[in-house]
Amino acid sequence: MDEERKLEIERWKDKVNEIIERFPERKERFTTSSDIEVERVYGMEESTLPGEYPFTRGIQPTMYRSRFWTMRQYAGFGSAKETNKRFRYLLEQGQTGLSVAFDLPTQIGYDSDDPMAEGEVGKVGVAIDTLEDMEILFDHIPLDKVSTSMTINAPAAVLLCMYIAVGEKQGVPLEKLTGTIQNDILKEYIARGTYIFPPKPSMRLITNIFAFCHQYLPKFNTISISGYHIREAGSNAVQEVAFTIANGMSYVDAAIESGLNVDDFAPRLAFFFNAHNNFFEEIAKFRAARRIWAKIMKEHYKAKNPKSWKLRFHTQTGGSTLTAQQPDNNIVRVTLQALAAVLGGTQSLHTNSRDEALSLPTEESARIALRTQQIIAYESGVADTVDPLGGSYYVEALTDEIEAKVEKYLEHIQELGGAVQAIEAGYMQREIQQNAYEIQKQIERNEEIIVGLNQFTMEEDAEPELLKVDESLEKGQIASLKRVKEKRDNDLVEKRLRVLKEMAKDERENLIPYILDAVKAYASVGEICNVLREEFGEYTGV
Amino acid sequence: MGKKIRVLIAKPGLDGHDRGALVISQALRDHGMEVIYTGLRQTPLQIATSAIQEDVDVIGLSSLSGAHRTLFPKVVEELKKRGAGDIPVIGGGIIPSEDIPYLMEKGIKKIFTSGSSTEALAEYIQQLIDPKEKTLTPPKKISHIGIAVKSIDQALSLYTDGFGLQLEGVEEVADEGVKVAFIKIGETRFELLEPIHEQSPIQKFLDTRGEGIHHIALDVDDIKARINYMKKHGITFIHEQPKQGANDSQIAFIHPNSTGKVLFELCQQRTEEEG
Repeated sequence: MDEERKLEIERWKDKVNEIIERFPERKERFTTSSDIEVERVYGMEESTLPGEYPFTRGIQPTMYRSRFWTMRQYAGFGSAKETNKRFRYLLEQGQTGLSVAFDLPTQIGYDSDDPMAEGEVGKVGVAIDTLEDMEILFDHIPLDKVSTSMTINAPAAVLLCMYIAVGEKQGVPLEKLTGTIQNDILKEYIARGTYIFPPKPSMRLITNIFAFCHQYLPKFNTISISGYHIREAGSNAVQEVAFTIANGMSYVDAAIESGLNVDDFAPRLAFFFNAHNNFFEEIAKFRAARRIWAKIMKEHYKAKNPKSWKLRFHTQTGGSTLTAQQPDNNIVRVTLQALAAVLGGTQSLHTNSRDEALSLPTEESARIALRTQQIIAYESGVADTVDPLGGSYYVEALTDEIEAKVEKYLEHIQELGGAVQAIEAGYMQREIQQNAYEIQKQIERNEEIIVGLNQFTMEEDAEPELLKVDESLEKGQIASLKRVKEKRDNDLVEKRLRVLKEMAKDERENLIPYILDAVKAYASVGEICNVLREEFGEYTGV
Repeated sequence: MGKKIRVLIAKPGLDGHDRGALVISQALRDHGMEVIYTGLRQTPLQIATSAIQEDVDVIGLSSLSGAHRTLFPKVVEELKKRGAGDIPVIGGGIIPSEDIPYLMEKGIKKIFTSGSSTEALAEYIQQLIDPKEKTLTPPKKISHIGIAVKSIDQALSLYTDGFGLQLEGVEEVADEGVKVAFIKIGETRFELLEPIHEQSPIQKFLDTRGEGIHHIALDVDDIKARINYMKKHGITFIHEQPKQGANDSQIAFIHPNSTGKVLFELCQQRTEEEG
């Protein structure tokens, strides 16, 4: 080891000690069951350092020795009132962050009384029409104490404004709000389908949010660039990372083009990945993604702030790996996937429930899913040292190979003109679909074994108890929307919607303050989106 | 080969999960069908209209958002309103099994749940649309009910005198070691089975279980095709090839381990066309 390297490690140790002084680790001394002392980092001499560029070994120097990942279960169904109850239950059970699932009409900017919403109200998440629903959703949940992740994309600006308005009513200053909005429209075009507007105005809304949050919500993650759904749609691990990072680069390009400085918004970009079954490949995938993003931000975009280089990510275990057959087996799949995410250095984690191939999870299933994370955190000891698999011949080789393959894809996408053009040409969609079809064929030919599905099958009793969403909910939601519309100041709503429409015409205007005004007047998600539809038009697919 | 089967694959409602719909579209194309995929966010009316305009033979609906109970029946309704109620509608996605009877009642022909193979789906559509090529109609009636008796002479009077039914005839089937009495009742028959020697399966049955119902025989059109079809679905047979039965029929017994311990016999009567 040369002198310079030795010095670097010494400097790192000093820095870490300073940090620990201020924020102590979970324990003063970590040991195994045989009282072997567990070191903070192994193999430092031969590898890059955790918390240092390019962050292959993690974005913090002490990782889970200081604080476990955030256990964040995605939840939401039916009405705001019911979901509020589930949130409060999860918080009581030791969950440390909220994650809101919205129903499809909300995600696509339709009110519950829209003909397009028929049959979908409250089905896959909570129905939100106006600020009133949002107030009920967060009733008795202090927004300065929890961080909230919202899976909302096309109308992200509207729901963010509602969150801000609820915070204001609770007396929480804007700069204290923490959380994440998904706000990732590009993967909606590729894989998830809840788009409203065409790419150009959609990118404008996204960069408007970046700019607004930079000024007023400095602790809010303005986007969660998502590979999760790309993987669920059928991509492999390399494609998941490649397409996600390509999308990320498009957002950075758009933000810079809109006049922002890269270090003003890049530290608030977050990522969202999947965790599937191939254990070591998944771990290597997370490590490679961090390294690739760091290099791109530092070398390509010349970001100066180290925070801009760090790829922070949320992980959810793989929904498409769950089987409807022998559903309890899914608990084991989820455990392995969650463990891969932890060994890959995730910042937060959602573990799926065993019954999600059949319907939304019951309370019991959701609890087992959360307990799975708690067992990994508190019992397994894997969180006691940083990047325990760093230096493994296999994992390091996989990390390098994934990086190389991702770079190839990124080059090709650049040749096509970037992610937006590649999506408009249907390139990513085709790649994913081809892979999905191959997987299906492999399963049907028994080349890929799925336990309980094409091997080790058995006669099963009837399905376990499933969560049912009350069918009368749609009517109730429509009735309460009608009530809000009757009691609000409709002249004010109309005025504010008119202003928003005017402002939408001018590309240089930041629309967030006008959306916030409309939301505060109890304009509905559908009304706001309709005004924007009139100006922006609608995306209709490739 | 006839004209290609045309399939409309549609995503009703707002659900954006179309991996299944896309994989199925491609698989059916690989099976030689013409597939039209509607894309996302179709209303039931749009789906019905597309189906009629495209003159499809079958519609496949996919939903993973829980809206199937509302939207699937609406597609059937819209088709009926437009005089196209004869286009069969099938569905798939995340659909709890308890919802299936409701959907069937509302006119959905069949639901393929999570884990179904594209192979099975393609075969189902093929048989649904083009029955001339691969007819496989369900059994039409109970051919007979077999009853094991120690002695036909002693048992017979209940049927002929007690019930007043008509004895059609008595026949020995040496292969099976039985003497059989045929008693007609409506469209079907009772068969009284008496063992003619110690090795007869009926003798074994009497030794272990005593007298009583022995088997139920179902009338099928194409016994070979039915055996093959059921074998593909994991059902085991005592006779994997049909054999000669009484009255010149072709028969095969299904293994009772596959049928919840009910002994079933498939039975194909000799017909004149077959000659």
